[in-house]
Amino acid sequence: MDRHSGRCYRRRVDFRNAPLTVLGIEASCDDTAAALVRHVPGAAPVILSNVVAGQDALHEGFGGVVPEIAARAHAEALDLTVEKALEGRGLRVVDAVAVTAGPGLIGGVVAGVMLAKGIAAGAGLPLVGVNHLAGHALTPRLTDGLSFPYLMLLVSGGHCQFLLVRGEGDHRRLGGTIDDAPGEAFDKTARLLGLPMPGGPAVEREAARGTPRIALPRPLLGREGCDLSFSGLKTAVLRARGDLAPDGALREGDRADLCASFQAAVTEVLAEKSRRALRAAGPVTAFAVAGGVAANGAIRAALEGVAAEAGTPFAAPPPPLCTDNGAMIAWAGIEALRQGRRDDLTLAARPRWPLDEAAAPMLGSGKRGAKA
Amino acid sequence: MILGFDTSGPWLSAALADRAGRLQAHRTEGMARGQAEALFPFLETLMAGEGVGWKDLTALAVGTGPGNFTGLRIAVAAARGLALSLGVPAVGVSGFEALAAPLPLDDRPRRAGDEPASPAALVVSLPAPRGQAYVQATRGGAPEGEPLLIDPADPPEALGRPPGVRVLGHRAAEIARPFRADHETYDPSHMGARTALVAHRRLAAGEVPGRPRPLYVRPPDAAPGAGRPPRIVP
Repeated sequence: MDRHSGRCYRRRVDFRNAPLTVLGIEASCDDTAAALVRHVPGAAPVILSNVVAGQDALHEGFGGVVPEIAARAHAEALDLTVEKALEGRGLRVVDAVAVTAGPGLIGGVVAGVMLAKGIAAGAGLPLVGVNHLAGHALTPRLTDGLSFPYLMLLVSGGHCQFLLVRGEGDHRRLGGTIDDAPGEAFDKTARLLGLPMPGGPAVEREAARGTPRIALPRPLLGREGCDLSFSGLKTAVLRARGDLAPDGALREGDRADLCASFQAAVTEVLAEKSRRALRAAGPVTAFAVAGGVAANGAIRAALEGVAAEAGTPFAAPPPPLCTDNGAMIAWAGIEALRQGRRDDLTLAARPRWPLDEAAAPMLGSGKRGAKA
Repeated sequence: MILGFDTSGPWLSAALADRAGRLQAHRTEGMARGQAEALFPFLETLMAGEGVGWKDLTALAVGTGPGNFTGLRIAVAAARGLALSLGVPAVGVSGFEALAAPLPLDDRPRRAGDEPASPAALVVSLPAPRGQAYVQATRGGAPEGEPLLIDPADPPEALGRPPGVRVLGHRAAEIARPFRADHETYDPSHMGARTALVAHRRLAAGEVPGRPRPLYVRPPDAAPGAGRPPRIVP
């Protein structure tokens, strides 16, 4: 064995069939996360640890995640988070290192990838770069043991797309947002209404006390297919706020009603587009959801209803595995290793990395290619 | 063996120093893009040339800048990952410290006591975006006060106050002009070597290093959210 090479391994492991314990590292948005997942073929995977260090307080007051603030916080927190996830076990128990290599905010992705390379090189462990979206898309196999193919609605602060998940690395995008992600719309609505960040839970709490009596648009509902749009909804909330509070003073009750109306609009659009996506997908084993917005109770209930109507099993990972986490990256790493895929120490961080590379770009389709 | 590396500017620079603080090998390559992809193969090539493996390292030394923000995080995150997996300390060395330290970097044989004398007062300057410079006042190789972001054409008066002050680094001549101080430009091809040697000195002096942190100097570009929220009334 050449001890000078980072591409040599302490132990020869047949990754296709061996029991595997993988360290997953995620730093592509505003959560620094690390986890250990163990999988013995033929048995259900086990999450040994799952540590998430959030940054909400750092971005408060800036109206969204500030990339440079996020990158600095990741660079500070990454190794500490990995140490917590190892829980004193040491790297001896780890068979491979998986890391989010994109898409996302490049500063954090680069920091995560470099930390992972340092760990892999020093410990002589194989490295595998994971697509963040694949992490979300494969989570129902970690939590619910789903078989391919299944329909996945990935719905978060940065993403919104319907994916037909046919295998590891084999996804077909059936549709998605043409502008904002719903999580972004929740955050913007929260800011417009003076609610704290993160906006999703804040708007959901208010909505629970209100009545959806204010008319808001249902964007793209009339258009065929599974594409969605949420940027206009934010503008409609701003206009409604102006109508309710012409003097700048908004009644608490009106605010709750506006939140309820906004949430109802998002829910109705997501439910109807899910119906269409299920029809377009053909036979599937399940309809699964993931992403931070899937943690919203009203939206989750509506999507569950859509699955029930279609007679399709519904799978929604528990909320901590719906939002960004390291366990989904470790699991996607295990799935990739089982397919014989791994990376070397030249692994690149990719700010743009569409999951379905064959589909026409929907977002950020400039010179540098599709974002997601 | 200490492995030092620096990606704070458009380069990869790395070096190996032995237990006695002697430079074993050093190498620098200009690189404006692709540092993250190239760093580890670059380090492995340097180490392989000396017959050194990852497990032979007793410490890491990493350049913490100031400099390109992403470049700083590339090196610091790599160093932290290596420190975690190898169970050895990682020492953060700022670009100011690296340049201010009097180090025997040429190849000429030396006798004991032959090291260049540490200049009493030295202002070290590194490039910053938009025509600015990061500067740090040092004395005897140690930083004095906080690093500053300045316009090299209009340096703050306090920088020129110490008698006999010299200016070293980026746009040194301009910064030195109002003070009529001596000045010298710098050579980034030694950043990795300087980083390794400064780390060796600090460890030899008994320092127990904390985790390396990028030295940004400049706060993040971030504008407060636009628009005022409404007044909420019962």
